Amino acid sequence: MITLQQIFFLIIAGVMLGAAIMMVSARQVFHSTLWMILTFLGVAGFYVLLGSSFMAGLQLFIYVGAISVLTVIAIMVTRGMMRHHRHSFNDPLTAAIAALACFGGLTWLIVQIPWPTRPLMDIPPDDLAFLGQVLIDPNRYMLLFEVASLLLFVVLVGALYIVRER
Amino acid sequence: MVPLSWYLIVAAALFSIGLYGILAHRNLVVILMSLELLLNAVNINLIAFSRYLEPELVNGRTFALFVYVVAAAEAAIGLALVVNIWRNRSTVSVDRIDDLKG
Repeated sequence: MITLQQIFFLIIAGVMLGAAIMMVSARQVFHSTLWMILTFLGVAGFYVLLGSSFMAGLQLFIYVGAISVLTVIAIMVTRGMMRHHRHSFNDPLTAAIAALACFGGLTWLIVQIPWPTRPLMDIPPDDLAFLGQVLIDPNRYMLLFEVASLLLFVVLVGALYIVRER
Repeated sequence: MVPLSWYLIVAAALFSIGLYGILAHRNLVVILMSLELLLNAVNINLIAFSRYLEPELVNGRTFALFVYVVAAAEAAIGLALVVNIWRNRSTVSVDRIDDLKG
């Protein structure tokens, strides 16, 4: 018996994988970006199904918002590339074989293991507050949290340095 | 409920599609976009493991948050490099940016 949640899962998975395939096979780079945004929306839907709407919101902010805008700007700056349609692919048959082998190997590994079919427990009402406490707990992830903020700062300065006008 | 293995198989499919994009394309922008697909596939796995295998529900999510940080850093630096390469070479095709080939 297939449940409502499984139906939603299958719909989202179908849309997401279809959009991903369209993204890597699109001839125009800009069309690739539009399909990429649809793929990211599918991933956000998965997070909602997994009971983590906070991660779904982050997915919308970071990927659908920020990274797709960055990509569109990069395409605008390098727009002359879109004329070279014939040369945009590099040996697609070999790449497809490699990707299919990767998928086959991973799926073979996944079906070997008896994964659980339902979560260990229901989501507690204060899971997000606990996540925040863990992030700034000195015994757990505080150091990594601070290093991550430092990394973002260095990356912003570095990106500005790389694209500066000479 | 949806079995955990479904999430893992869909994430594996997404990862393979991203791998195809990286191998098959010559445009540096599309390669960077495919890289984001790989990171998203990994994130789906992390969140699914966190939901199904973890009583606390935090370690997988924290890892996914750090993957977000690294993905944002990678996108900013990568696209800055693309812009800079375009300025210097007037191409973003990876088979013409092969000075280190020897």
